[in-house]
Amino acid sequence: MHDAVVVALRETLGKVTGFIYPNELELQWSILIVLYPYLTGLVAGAFILASLERVFNVKVLKPTYRLSLLTALAFLVIAPLPLQVHLGHPERSFNILFTPNPTSAMAMFGFVYLWYLMAVLLLEIWLDYRKDIVGWADSDPSWLKRLIYKVMTLGVFKPTAKSFEIDDKVGRALTVIGLPSAILLHGYVGFIFGSIKANPWWSTPLMPIIFLFSAMASGIAGVLLLYMFLCWARDVEIEMPCLDTVAKYFLTAVIIAFSLEMLETVQKAYEAEEHFDILQLLIEGKLYLSLIVVQVWLGSLMPILLVGLTQLFELPDKVRKVFYAVSGSLSLVGIFAMRWNVVVGGQFFSKSLMGFTTYKLELAGREGLFSAFVISILPLVVLGVLLWLLPPWEKKPAKA
Amino acid sequence: MKDIEHLVRVAVIFLTAIAFFLVARAMIKPPDYGKLGRYRAGALDDIKALPVKYAGQASCAGCHKAQAKEKAGSSHRGMACESCHGALAAHAAAPKGPKPSKPSEAEMRRFCLRCHEASVSRPAKFPTVDDSKHNPDVACSMCHKPHAPKL
Repeated sequence: MHDAVVVALRETLGKVTGFIYPNELELQWSILIVLYPYLTGLVAGAFILASLERVFNVKVLKPTYRLSLLTALAFLVIAPLPLQVHLGHPERSFNILFTPNPTSAMAMFGFVYLWYLMAVLLLEIWLDYRKDIVGWADSDPSWLKRLIYKVMTLGVFKPTAKSFEIDDKVGRALTVIGLPSAILLHGYVGFIFGSIKANPWWSTPLMPIIFLFSAMASGIAGVLLLYMFLCWARDVEIEMPCLDTVAKYFLTAVIIAFSLEMLETVQKAYEAEEHFDILQLLIEGKLYLSLIVVQVWLGSLMPILLVGLTQLFELPDKVRKVFYAVSGSLSLVGIFAMRWNVVVGGQFFSKSLMGFTTYKLELAGREGLFSAFVISILPLVVLGVLLWLLPPWEKKPAKA
Repeated sequence: MKDIEHLVRVAVIFLTAIAFFLVARAMIKPPDYGKLGRYRAGALDDIKALPVKYAGQASCAGCHKAQAKEKAGSSHRGMACESCHGALAAHAAAPKGPKPSKPSEAEMRRFCLRCHEASVSRPAKFPTVDDSKHNPDVACSMCHKPHAPKL
C-alpha cells in the first residue's frame, strides 16, 4: 500500500469510534452533495415566490417577481455543477439523456432538470421580458447589448399589442405548469434521500415535503435579502408592503418546515426503533452544533421569533428591515446546516448501528471547502450578469 | 398569425433542438446498447479479448511440486501463488521467459501486514500482530517461511 494512504488511513482510523464496517470509513457524499440540494432548494423557493405573484395574484409582490425568476435561473444553471465536480467526467453527463434509465430516480434527474430549465424558466422569463427586449434592442446605448437583445427577439422586431396579451396568457399557463415542476424538482431531491431505505436517518416519506418547505424558506429568504441588497445598492427606497408580504410567506415556510422536521424527530424518538439509540448519540454528539445550535435555534427559532415579533407588534420600518435581514441570513445558514445534517449526518453512523465514522473536510482539492465556496458564489455571478442584461426594474434613461 | 409569430419561432427552435438531440443520440449511442442490459453488449467481447494475466494454481503446481506440497499442508493453503509472486501467465506459457518475483525483504512487513495487522474487524482466531510491537523492522521471513508460516 502507498505510504501516504497508510498515513491517511491511520489518521482517520484514530477518529472513528465504536464498530464500523470497512467501507464506511470514507464518506462518499461530500460537502458538494450538501451544496446540491441547497442550490436546487433556492431555485424552487425563488420560483414559488414568483408564482405567488403570477398565479395567485399577490400583486404587492410585483417588485420581486422578476428578481425571483432571475434568481431561480441563476441558481438553476449552477445547480448541477456540484454533482459534476463530485462525480468527475462532466462530458459523460449527457449519457443520462442519451440512455435514459426510467427505474433510477437519480438518472431521471436530467429530464426533470431540463424540463424545468427549458420549458418553464427560460420560456417564462423570455415571455415576461419580451416587450422590454424589443424596446431595448432599439434603444440601448451599448451595441453589444443591442445585438444580444436583437437575437433574443428572434427577429420579431415589431410585435403587435395582441401578441403581448397572448404572451401574458401563455406566461400564466407556464407558471401554472411551473409550480408543480418546481415542486417536482425539489421534491425529487428529497425523494432520493427519503427512498434510501438502508439509512434510518434518511428513509422517511416526509423527506420530500421537508426538503420542499425548507427550500421555500431558503428561496424566499434569498430573494428577500437580494431585494434589500439591490435596493440599497441602487439607492432606491424599499417597498415595505412588498417586503412585509415576502417576510410573511417566509415566516409561513419556516414554521411549516420547522414543524415537519420536529414532527419527524419526535416520531422517531417515540417509535424508538432499534436505530434510535445511535441517532440520539448522533444528535447529541457529532451533530449537536450543526443541528441543535445552527439548524434549530439559530436557523429556525430565531427567524420565527424575529419575524413573529414583526407580526405581533407594529415596529418601525427600520427595525423590521433589520429583523428581516437577520432572519433571512440566519435561515440561509440554518438551511445549509439542515442539508449538511441530512447528507453528512446520515453517513456518520455505521449500518451496524454501533459506531461512527468521521468526515475531514479538505480546504483545497476538488471536493474541498474552497471548491464549495466557489460553486456557492457562482450563482451570484450569473445573477449579476442576468441583472446587467435583463434588469428587473425600470432602466434609467440613457444620458444624452 | 402575426400575433403568434414569436411563439412559432420558439417552437421551431425547440423542435430543432429536439431533432438535434435525437440525431446526436442516434450517432453517439452504441447500437448494441441495451441488448443485454443497461450497458453496451459488445463490452463483454472486448473484456473477453483482453489477454489473460494469471496462470492459476494448478499451472504453478505442475512444475513447482515441492513448494506446492509445502504450501498445501500449511495455513496458507488457500492463498494463490500469484498473490505474492505476481501475475504469471506469461511465465507459465514460457517458463524460460519472465521469472516470478516476490516481495523484497524491505517490502516484506508491509506486504504481510495487509492481512496480518491487528484489527477488530478481523476474525478473533485469525493470526494478527501489532506492527509496532511484533519485532519491529525485522523481515517476516526471518522467522516465518511464507509457504508454511507456522513456527
